[in-house]
Amino acid sequence: MSKQTWLQHALAQRGFQPQNQVVALIVLGILIVLVFGGIYLSQVANFATTNRQIEELIAVRDRLERTNEQLRAEIAALETVPRLLARARELGFRQATANDIEYLVVDGYNPNRDRSVVPLVAAAEDAPPVYEETFGGWLQQQFDALRRQFESFGR
Amino acid sequence: MSALPRQEIINRRMPIVVFFLATISGLLLFAVSRYQWLPPEVQREFLLRGQANVSSVRRLPAERGLIFDRQGQPLAFNTIEYEIGVSPNLITRDKRLDVARQLGVILQRDEYELLQLLNSNTSWQLIARPVSAQIGQQIADLNIFGLIINPLSKRFYPQGELMSQVLGFVIESNDNTRGAMGVEGSYNQTLAGRTLQEQVSAIPFGLPSDTKPTGQRGMSLVLTIDRDIQFWVEEELRRALEQTGATRGTVIVMNPRNGDILAMASLPSFDPNNFIRVSDPALLRNPAISETYEPGSVMKVLTIAAALEQGVITRDWTYNDQGVLTVGGINVRNWDRRAYGLVDVTTLLVDSLNVGAATVAMSMGTDEFYSRMRAFGIGQPTRVDLTGEEAGIMKVPGDPDWSEANLATNSYGQGLSVTPLQMLTAVNAIANDGLMMQPRIVYQIIDGDKVIDAQPSALGRVTSKQTADIVTEMMVQVVEREGGVARARVNGYTIAGKTGTAEIPSPTGYETGPNSSIVTFVGFLPADDPQISVLIKLDRPNEYWGSIVAAPVFRQVAERLVILLGIPNDQTRQLLQAEGGRVNSGGR
Repeated sequence: MSKQTWLQHALAQRGFQPQNQVVALIVLGILIVLVFGGIYLSQVANFATTNRQIEELIAVRDRLERTNEQLRAEIAALETVPRLLARARELGFRQATANDIEYLVVDGYNPNRDRSVVPLVAAAEDAPPVYEETFGGWLQQQFDALRRQFESFGR
Repeated sequence: MSALPRQEIINRRMPIVVFFLATISGLLLFAVSRYQWLPPEVQREFLLRGQANVSSVRRLPAERGLIFDRQGQPLAFNTIEYEIGVSPNLITRDKRLDVARQLGVILQRDEYELLQLLNSNTSWQLIARPVSAQIGQQIADLNIFGLIINPLSKRFYPQGELMSQVLGFVIESNDNTRGAMGVEGSYNQTLAGRTLQEQVSAIPFGLPSDTKPTGQRGMSLVLTIDRDIQFWVEEELRRALEQTGATRGTVIVMNPRNGDILAMASLPSFDPNNFIRVSDPALLRNPAISETYEPGSVMKVLTIAAALEQGVITRDWTYNDQGVLTVGGINVRNWDRRAYGLVDVTTLLVDSLNVGAATVAMSMGTDEFYSRMRAFGIGQPTRVDLTGEEAGIMKVPGDPDWSEANLATNSYGQGLSVTPLQMLTAVNAIANDGLMMQPRIVYQIIDGDKVIDAQPSALGRVTSKQTADIVTEMMVQVVEREGGVARARVNGYTIAGKTGTAEIPSPTGYETGPNSSIVTFVGFLPADDPQISVLIKLDRPNEYWGSIVAAPVFRQVAERLVILLGIPNDQTRQLLQAEGGRVNSGGR
């Protein structure tokens, strides 16, 4: 018996008829569509979750910035000269007059001497980026994202 | 003729059809390929149309730059206020009363009135604008669906009225916020920043973009003004107005070496946080640069300096003062109508003799006199970086209303007008060895991480150092000599100065009677190494003369300045100089 003959025989025994092949191809096609669909949906869900998180963070940042602006304005208002003067008076200070000030001449000290500035040290070059991502890690990320997505839906 | 078989017909016609289709396709391809070489403006238009299908444009107004004094103290800030609106359709009827109650408590408003707003048949209804950040936050914390809380940027001047005429103010509107007057006006473009147009994707799941790209915010300014000096100057000016009965006043403090304006105060002023409530719009202008006056005898300093520089007089020059000089049909007389006899130049300045000044100007001749006065900046703006500067008026030969009498009167400060800043800038040239510096108000511009220093700039050399030194010595005598302006003396310091008393022009000549003068004092110290120069100007005080009214104000201001700026008295300074040092106010 030739090789072809025993293979045909084996297939015939398993009932692998043309109509079965069509069904198998359709199932395979559906499976592929499902896999890619799943990956796509996972990506979209991941994307949507990240978006919401970023929007929340932007909102928090904007709110903090506004609060900072407000606080800076309040501090500036509290540091106006009349307020500082009033506070100083409360603490027992009074304005200095020319007679209260004593200037000392320090031998050899020249206030207008040449100023030396320490030269800036060149910043060390940034280390090249290291790529450590693995396929397993990527799969884990996708799984985690999917899980977060379900968790957020449940909330 | 027998008919051709069907297949043969097809075979014959096929090349024609193919050729036709290929030609059409080629033409279409050619038409499409032409889009690659469209003019750029047409390409841009197509691009925009394409983008419009998938995105919209949102305007992101820039945050206005801040303003600081030279010590880093904030002078102008941005704060947030809120606009509270509501979409009534998004709040169910049964909840509206509850919402109105909650809002009423926070906004301190009638809940029935708020309920009417919530029941209105519109897609959006304004509830309150503006409300403070705290109230806005309280309402936001209610977390009511349908309430719309929009932040509004508001300019805030934490120092209140302090230097309001220097700072100017900001007119805020929804789509065109702009600075007006002062630094806010002159540096509006710099402070305003750049309004960005952001493309917002209309495609779902698009990543939200960071709405605050770098470089959007306007640049910040550091002024040459020192807040503490400004405060004390305004305090002294306020006290001076009360004590002298003057209606208005201006004080300018400058560093004559580099033109830095350390303080520029005018009263009455306004609160830039509430500029809209100012009853008199004239208050919004800065009188130090926009109001002109006849300078009076301070002008004699410039006349003497110009004549010395020209060489028509020397330090030892004398003339015979007969108390009156007739020029161009008018009689020039001294302030006390006395004849002083043989008088030298220093005495001319110390006793402020009009006849002497007119004699000197006549010696100079019209061309020389006016060209040198123009070199001092009289009749021209200083080009200080502030909005609203006036040039002043100086008629010159050739003008229809100029006469020879003008030459005489101009020499002692009548018949022409200057701004206070112009006058101080001119006198600063004497203090700075003859080199006239352009006054400046901005010290640094901060653009993100970059700090740009504004460099001092010279307007020109108006006299030699030798001439400047001689005039300075004479100005010292004005203060120090017996019979001089003793009220301007500051214990331990040598002051160079000159008073000015000017009449106020009226339609019929000059005003007479009480409160009819403008008094000034211009001085600098220490005279041998000037570090600050001060101009005092008071309008319509009860007393008539500048030596009585303005000089004491100068003394009070100068006494405070030497403490604030750490300028040691002459004795200490000379000791320090002997050690090789030189004290200046650069530390402030």
